[in-house]
Amino acid sequence: MGMARRVSVALWLLGASAAVYATSDRTFERQVPAQPRGVVDISNVAGSIEVSGWDRQEVSVRGELGAGIERVDVTSEGGRTTIKVVLPQISGRHGEADLHVQIPKDSELDVSAVSADIRVSGVLGVQRLNAVSGDVTSELAGSDVDAKTVSGAVRLKGHGQGARLHVSSVSGDVHLEHGGGDFEASTVSGTLVVSLDSARSIRARSTSGDQRFEAKLARGAMVDATSVSGGLNVRASAEGGYAYEVSTFSGDIRDCFDAKPERTDKYAPGRILQGTRGEGAGHVRLKTMSGDVQLCDRN
Amino acid sequence: MTQPPDAEGRKVSSLRELPQAIEPARDLWPHIEARLSQIRAGATAANARAPLPASQRAARRGWLAAAAMVACVAVGVWIGRSLLPGAVYGSADGAASTTGASALDAVYVSDPRYARQRAALLRSLPAHLAALPPPARAKVTASLAALRKAKYDLESELGKDPGNALLQELLVNTYQDEMRVLTDVRDASDAGRGI
Repeated sequence: MGMARRVSVALWLLGASAAVYATSDRTFERQVPAQPRGVVDISNVAGSIEVSGWDRQEVSVRGELGAGIERVDVTSEGGRTTIKVVLPQISGRHGEADLHVQIPKDSELDVSAVSADIRVSGVLGVQRLNAVSGDVTSELAGSDVDAKTVSGAVRLKGHGQGARLHVSSVSGDVHLEHGGGDFEASTVSGTLVVSLDSARSIRARSTSGDQRFEAKLARGAMVDATSVSGGLNVRASAEGGYAYEVSTFSGDIRDCFDAKPERTDKYAPGRILQGTRGEGAGHVRLKTMSGDVQLCDRN
Repeated sequence: MTQPPDAEGRKVSSLRELPQAIEPARDLWPHIEARLSQIRAGATAANARAPLPASQRAARRGWLAAAAMVACVAVGVWIGRSLLPGAVYGSADGAASTTGASALDAVYVSDPRYARQRAALLRSLPAHLAALPPPARAKVTASLAALRKAKYDLESELGKDPGNALLQELLVNTYQDEMRVLTDVRDASDAGRGI
């Protein structure tokens, strides 16, 4: 075999092995000690992030790393554990990693993703979950949750425990099942579908997205929902009843207690429906420009 | 509702669509009252003096007429610059943003720092959108169009009914939401770098 032939075979083998390396998934595993009520910070651009709480005082990270992932950094220091998927500077930032992370169940959790989906279960501490186009799914456990996406959907599921829930999205849909406490949400064009077992306050705002609430309101609870062109559908019963004020510029108003909306002006558009159910302990205010509004005090 | 004539352009087709009243950015009355008191004090002193001759009274009337004309021209220029079409401030998708403002922008967005920040975000919006994953980019573009339409619809109705508190509240909300979206898109496009 001539020298040139041997060099070309060597180069071919080198290229082939590099290609195999670049296209094959690698696995990653690491465990670090962690404080029971520490902070766990996870970031990943693409792929998925699955986080679950456990009783051990350590953080376990297992990952399937796709082509284009350089490494995963895991550090634990001073009550803060950081897990970071690192992409090489020249990769074009297309690498995907699927992370499975177990953390002490009382930890505070901060997750940041771009297109990676985030799923959280069994974590009892405060959660701050941010994604751009990835979806965010989490179990609620009585602590505050702040979920924010640009276009990803947000799905939260609880058991009626009181907490402060704050959800914000540009175009993602928001689903909340069996929430409780104080709920605040804003979206431009996403849809809000929300059920709350015991709500102290609900504040929601959309531009064109529809909003649908089924809620049992605590005594003296406050509901404030507005939309420009989205519809509002509120079925809320309340201990102690509530005073309601529903106003719309050009939408329709319907209710299940035979109250009749009135025109706000003899010559201009606009309708308002106001009154009191029960003792009027709480307050419900619903406002739209052109979206239709439905209000009912029966769930 | 009619569609916007262009991305953010305001076409005022009749005077009735102009706002009937524009609240000043601050309470002007204390200053006006102080000036009136000064004028009253001056007039009292002047009355105590001898009346002016006819030629001087005519000259004074001439100056007053000239001042009134200057004031009229100033108001006309202000209306032309801020209320009439031409003060286009760019599309919500940032394709052609400038720092101009529409009539209702002037009413509801009077804070210059806010206006500067918003103009900067609109200028950088195309680059931030380009940095988003393609499906997210399409959804965000649709949301920005929804915001733009909401603003246009609200401003059109407020042009006919400027005192409508419901529409005013919804318009302020929409401006706040627009700012939030522009900030979120900027942060989102930087997120990959941060990560």
